[in-house]
Amino acid sequence: MGAKRKSREAIAEAAEEDHKERREEEKTSRKSQVLASTIKNKEKRSAVYVKLKQEKKREKRKKAKAREAAEKRALELGEELPPKTVPRTIENTRELDETVCKPDDEELFAGNDADEFSGILKQEVIPKILITTCRFNSSRGPAFISELLSVIPNAQYFRRGTYDLKKIVEYAKNKDFTSIMVVHTNRREPDALLVIGLPDGPTAHFKLSRLVLRKDIKNHGNPTSHKPELVLNNFTTRLGHRVGRLIQSLFPQDPNFRGRRVVTFHNQRDFIFFRHHRYIFDTKETKQTEIKAKKTTEKDKEKEDASTPQGKTIARLQECGPRFTLKLVSLQHGTFDTKGGEFEWVHKPEMDTSRRRFFL
Amino acid sequence: MPRTIAVDCPGCPPIRALTFDTLGLIKVIEARPVDGNQGTVSSPKVVERWGDPNPSNCILAASIDDRRIDPLLAVARRSGLIEVINPLNGDIRVSAKSDVGSDDDDSIVGLHLFRREISESSSSRSCTLLTTTAKGTTTLRPLELADSSADSSISDSVKTWRVCSSGDVSCSAVDGNECYALYGGKGVEVNVWDLEKCDKIWTAKSPPKNSLGIFTPTWFTSATFLCKEDHRKIVAGTKNHQVRLYDIASQRRPVISFDFREASIKAVTADLDGNTVYFGTGSGDLASADIRTGLIGSNWSYERKLLGCFIGKCSGSIRSIVRHPELPIIASCGLDSYLRLWDIKTRQLLSAVFLKQHLNVVLVDSNFEDEGRTPAAPEAPSNEEHEVIQNLDGEVEDGNVLLPVKRKKASKDINNQNKNKLKLKPKKKNSKRVQAECDG
Repeated sequence: MGAKRKSREAIAEAAEEDHKERREEEKTSRKSQVLASTIKNKEKRSAVYVKLKQEKKREKRKKAKAREAAEKRALELGEELPPKTVPRTIENTRELDETVCKPDDEELFAGNDADEFSGILKQEVIPKILITTCRFNSSRGPAFISELLSVIPNAQYFRRGTYDLKKIVEYAKNKDFTSIMVVHTNRREPDALLVIGLPDGPTAHFKLSRLVLRKDIKNHGNPTSHKPELVLNNFTTRLGHRVGRLIQSLFPQDPNFRGRRVVTFHNQRDFIFFRHHRYIFDTKETKQTEIKAKKTTEKDKEKEDASTPQGKTIARLQECGPRFTLKLVSLQHGTFDTKGGEFEWVHKPEMDTSRRRFFL
Repeated sequence: MPRTIAVDCPGCPPIRALTFDTLGLIKVIEARPVDGNQGTVSSPKVVERWGDPNPSNCILAASIDDRRIDPLLAVARRSGLIEVINPLNGDIRVSAKSDVGSDDDDSIVGLHLFRREISESSSSRSCTLLTTTAKGTTTLRPLELADSSADSSISDSVKTWRVCSSGDVSCSAVDGNECYALYGGKGVEVNVWDLEKCDKIWTAKSPPKNSLGIFTPTWFTSATFLCKEDHRKIVAGTKNHQVRLYDIASQRRPVISFDFREASIKAVTADLDGNTVYFGTGSGDLASADIRTGLIGSNWSYERKLLGCFIGKCSGSIRSIVRHPELPIIASCGLDSYLRLWDIKTRQLLSAVFLKQHLNVVLVDSNFEDEGRTPAAPEAPSNEEHEVIQNLDGEVEDGNVLLPVKRKKASKDINNQNKNKLKLKPKKKNSKRVQAECDG
């Protein structure tokens, strides 16, 4: 406690000094200075702005220095470090949402048991996926589909031909498929993904962007045919929960852990990031390889380091498979029927009242 | 800076609504006047939850007999069970298994609980239900209100008839005088039946092919009678995002039909004034339109005016809209699992309550306001009610049967009866004033 107080006092002193200086400055400047935006001469105005900016920068640096000094002192004296300030991000200042799922909500679990995916998620049904395209499909579209086929086990590609999507849904229902994925391309570039749950599951329409295929990823690995593990991050609200379950129902629920293959759907600010990795447990003694690994997957490694307890074994990641970003456009009740269907959620412009409002 | 406070909705007057969801739960939402300071109303909250979450109990249709004394609520579940519930405390009065409507593809789509005459109910203690299944089997059955819910008996006078030979019925409605019923659905044109004779009296005719010679197949998703007294005017919403007005008296084709946005019309409700219609679509748009007759130019024609949309971040399909019988409020609910209360005049969102499940039906208990007023002004029952209570007392003397009465109200009133007699005049004034406040 004492240590903390001391350090706090030090900070307070520094702050007080700052304050005094600033006050003096203000006193001198107030007489001469008017509000910068009211100056009509542009050159003079910009000069004032430059001055203000410099001042701000100086102050910021001073603050950082004081903080550093306090930390250093605490470290030297072997005291408790001053608490680290948490930067304010858009995520942690998210607008309050009453639809966020709570762990003690019995209605949520009852609803989960009753929903369309429960059969697959309870491993009563093995997922079987039909992948098809829009009517005109070329270049990156087929390449993306071939990679999707390697990511999702038990998936089959069917050429679209000129069939109606509703006919395809009927066909897939009869053949006991559990989901349909439709990759929509525009100007030879995949730009939308449609996931239809069968036989009566919801239809999710995603915008697909920032697609990087396997061959464009440096030092990519080649996935094995093992069943992958699935990571779903940050699907918090009711809607997010439902979308998460829809995605979960595409994959088999019994991963082969020997395959060491992970598929990640990471939700951040309503964008769902898809990544596909292989991982390996390694010991730290092999220094050379570690350095090499650091170069390739620095970011990923940092994450892993943080998560693994301090020891010799570490996990290394190698990215394989495509990389893309999804954004939910609409979630429709029932199978594909854009004209007469009932939507559970549609994005409307009037919902965008704040940048800190998220739906997933 | 992040906005940490929610956008405040203007509060709503005291209201009590019941919502019915896909897990078979009935939730009671109340906005009560705050004790102590008059005029302020707490935000609507879930005060009660009846039933256990069970997907096979999913409520498909509900209807309320909204009376001051001994109100009833009928509920049709997916399992084919029809329950008559006391909407005040959730006790099941009668439950009956309907032989039809237990299949998946032949589920109950429409349910109507007939209003009972007060004098009649005290003598026979039964209620009448009209159920419609998706295949078009309509049943008119009286149910005995036994005290124990176990022994429910269906009387012999069950009338059953088929509304359509093919197609799926998806909507049905009963007019204000409860003499006529209308049906419509996928491949079923709107048709009107006389309930006493069980006879079809009118069928609509599909609109002609368009200029390209394309015929749009009939698919009605919602329908209602426009006026309470008049059974001749019908408003229907179609899957092809059309709202149509039919007039039985004039022609078989729609008198007016207009498009609204791009999603199918899922719910239609008429206003009390007989010329405003509220409709909600499959993508969560709610709007009101004025349908009115008028003389324009040389020939008789109808004029319609879209009054405007109700905007309030409503993102899921609207399944049910209900108009409060007295206050200028409508309640809507649907797949976004919010119950929303809207002001009719300003089309402003008054309040939204998150209810966790997909909601199928919402109903409003119109007598709550009076009930809610009692704690604030305990001696303010209206004149009619006073008589009713006296009436009741008489019955008690006669037949030694006590009907279940509105909870607080009745007990208090019976106690206060003598007081009330003395204070009749100031009482009236008081109630009027409160009414005015609510209106304003």
